[in-house]
Amino acid sequence: MSRRGLIAAIGGLVLLSPVAGSDAARLAAQEGTRSNQDASTYGCIVCHADMRRAFAQGAHAERGIRCHTCHGGDTSQVEVATAHRGRFLGAPSKQATTELCASCHSDPNQMRQYGLAADQLAEFRTSRHGELLLGRGNADAPTCTDCHEAHTIRPANDARSMVHPTNIPRTCGLCHDDAALMRKYGLSVDQLSRFMAGAHGKAIFEDRNFAAPTCIGCHGSHAALPPDVTEIDHVCGKCHVLLADALYAGPHGTPSLTRRIPGCLGCHTNHGTERLPPEQISELCVTCHAAESSMATLGQEIEEQVLHARGELELAAEAIARMVKTGRDVSDERFRYRAAYTAYQQLAKVQHSLDLEQLEDLGREVRSNAAVVRSTAEAYAEERWEHNLLLMPLWFLTLSGVAFAAFKLRELGRVSHG
Amino acid sequence: MIRLTLAALRRAIVGVWDDIKASTDASLLGMARFIGLLYGPIDRSLSIDQAWRKALRYRLAPHVGWRHALGSITYLLFVVLVITGVLLAIFYRPSVQEAYPSIQHIVSETPFGWLVRDLHHWSANLIVIVLLMHMARVFFEAAYKPPRETNWLIGILLLFVVLLFGGTGYLLPWDQWSYWTLTEVMTAIARFPLVGRRFAEAIMGDVIPSGATLSRFFALHVIVLPWIAFALLGYHFTLVRRRGIAPPMNVERERRRQRRSGRYSPDEQAKEGVPFYPNHLLRSFMVAVVTIAIAITLAILFPRGLADPADPYAVPGELVSTWVPVDVSLALIRLAGTWGFTLFTLLGVSLILVPLLDRGPARRLRERPVVAVLGLTFFIGYVALWIAGRAIGSVTPSESLGTGVVAEQVVPSPPSLAVPDGNRAEPVPAPEAQRERGVR
Repeated sequence: MSRRGLIAAIGGLVLLSPVAGSDAARLAAQEGTRSNQDASTYGCIVCHADMRRAFAQGAHAERGIRCHTCHGGDTSQVEVATAHRGRFLGAPSKQATTELCASCHSDPNQMRQYGLAADQLAEFRTSRHGELLLGRGNADAPTCTDCHEAHTIRPANDARSMVHPTNIPRTCGLCHDDAALMRKYGLSVDQLSRFMAGAHGKAIFEDRNFAAPTCIGCHGSHAALPPDVTEIDHVCGKCHVLLADALYAGPHGTPSLTRRIPGCLGCHTNHGTERLPPEQISELCVTCHAAESSMATLGQEIEEQVLHARGELELAAEAIARMVKTGRDVSDERFRYRAAYTAYQQLAKVQHSLDLEQLEDLGREVRSNAAVVRSTAEAYAEERWEHNLLLMPLWFLTLSGVAFAAFKLRELGRVSHG
Repeated sequence: MIRLTLAALRRAIVGVWDDIKASTDASLLGMARFIGLLYGPIDRSLSIDQAWRKALRYRLAPHVGWRHALGSITYLLFVVLVITGVLLAIFYRPSVQEAYPSIQHIVSETPFGWLVRDLHHWSANLIVIVLLMHMARVFFEAAYKPPRETNWLIGILLLFVVLLFGGTGYLLPWDQWSYWTLTEVMTAIARFPLVGRRFAEAIMGDVIPSGATLSRFFALHVIVLPWIAFALLGYHFTLVRRRGIAPPMNVERERRRQRRSGRYSPDEQAKEGVPFYPNHLLRSFMVAVVTIAIAITLAILFPRGLADPADPYAVPGELVSTWVPVDVSLALIRLAGTWGFTLFTLLGVSLILVPLLDRGPARRLRERPVVAVLGLTFFIGYVALWIAGRAIGSVTPSESLGTGVVAEQVVPSPPSLAVPDGNRAEPVPAPEAQRERGVR
């Protein structure tokens, strides 16, 4: 036995001995029992302690999977030469990794117990990533372990996982935000920043609303592909059902379905997905339609409706704030405001159908509810102003009383002097 | 018909008065005197009505003038506060769920509830001003010198009682301003070394202002403090009467005027001076009427608004001050910082202590330069700071408030996530590092 091997062996024994009482030894002992192996003969961790620690935090460690399941070798040996013998794989290549993972993950019988699908590799093959890696042997493309980590593989609902919704943009950004790498494939790198600034990014990162899509919501995860321009409305419509319905019901619907106009992308952008301020509606219309056309006029009318409704809502909100300040109970007014606000939100949907009549109906609903709030506030303010009228009798009585007292005092003074 | 009714009513009243006259003696007037309704000496050899008239006609020294009314105004405002406070207590409900809605009910639904509430609010403000003016009068006229030093101490205690009244009452609306202003104060107290935290938690009954705090502040405000105040006031009035009103400033030595017993003696009856009734009573009437009119006018013109209901999870954007001492503290902290606040407080405390040291016979301000300077600095400074505080109006809560010494223990901070600011959110493990790991 070489000197190094001896030291390693002694170290290993010390580590593994239960008398040492160290955490590592205890864990190793438990692991050993679980996988029906004698702890004292599990040799990988003698050298690869850090890997073991990383692996222990992942999902696979709980399922009885051990080093040799993926890497092969003889786990009963503590020396490098003997341990790395037999069916030893070492670190598999990117291509081999996909097969290695698939050896379990493509087997529906094994995956069923965990509620996992078994089609990841099949999907991966259809993706641009899979095509590059498996079709052309291009090592720039990611393999399983690039997005899921090699040893610390955590389930997607674990907030520390690389594939948790809050981490997905960053995980994709590992490559897609790398300008040098993306230049080779003619891709831009502004997706991540635009996504973060857009409505979806804000929903996830500011409002913690995990119903909002991350990258994979539109592109798919294993079958990652950019949706075709012609598919955009269906992709968006998957979540924005009402907006898609309104779009298809309106004059833009048929051209979108027949791919003559770019659907959602006609007005919105893909990664930015920003909310369009109502002030821009008419400007947007004239990017396609002629400035003097009836379509441009329609756009202006829609814009006016929305802006008017918004203005009324703001005034109603101010009126409520004023009433709150004076100590009035405003639950009825808040209810009214909510009704107005609901109608205003429906305006956003109906805009997509360009149905002016329906828009006007909703606008009226916003305005009438807001008007009730405002008139209540005005009546209340007037009532409060009337309090001031009390000042007149108050000071009349006060001054009379003071005058009377002063007169009496003067009289008294005159009497005492006189 | 009306005449008959009136005559019957008159007979009834006279009958009651006769009964009282017959069944009691003049000693009963001592009670009236104790609660500040009567000043003169009581001749107990007379029947109660004669003693009452005699006491009313008691002559006060000629130098007693308008400035001596400041004390009566303070008492008047205290009475106004008691009456409006009782009316408010009928409708107010001291619980976390109901406090705010009950204020809304008082303000917008109870008849004249708004007037009662705002009158209470403004009287609480005015009483501090008038109390300080009364103190300033006593201070500069050297009326605190022996034999009246005990009464100065009682007055100081009364000042603290008024401040405690305001402090406990400040929380009761249970809106964002009151809640977070109190949290600021309690956080500041909790920072005090060693005992601060324990003391603040003992006051609040919790680690943040909560339902427990509201209950105990309400109990203090409407049950404990009024009794203390009445007891102190009674003794204050008693001492004013027994030690007499301070002589004018140009009198070097005053005649010793202390008696063993409270019994009436004829030599007390001054031959000169202005009789209390009707002259001083008319003056008091004028002052009282004007004071109440001013308080009502302020209540009508400047109602105390209401912020959103108190929410321990949301620090408001601004804290609006609604009480004079809070105005002053706010201005001090904004303009002079914490040290300025501490120094000014120390100045106030030294002002309280000065009369205990300054016991010589000198009464003129020129002969007491240190006292005069201290007093002028404090009283003028107080007024200036009050005006400054009113001008500033509101202050943003301190940044540490949400995670402050007091608040951090129970209020969980909202789930925080480093909001990504740009392309890269956080340093992520570089791809090379991962590949390396795979290779090894």
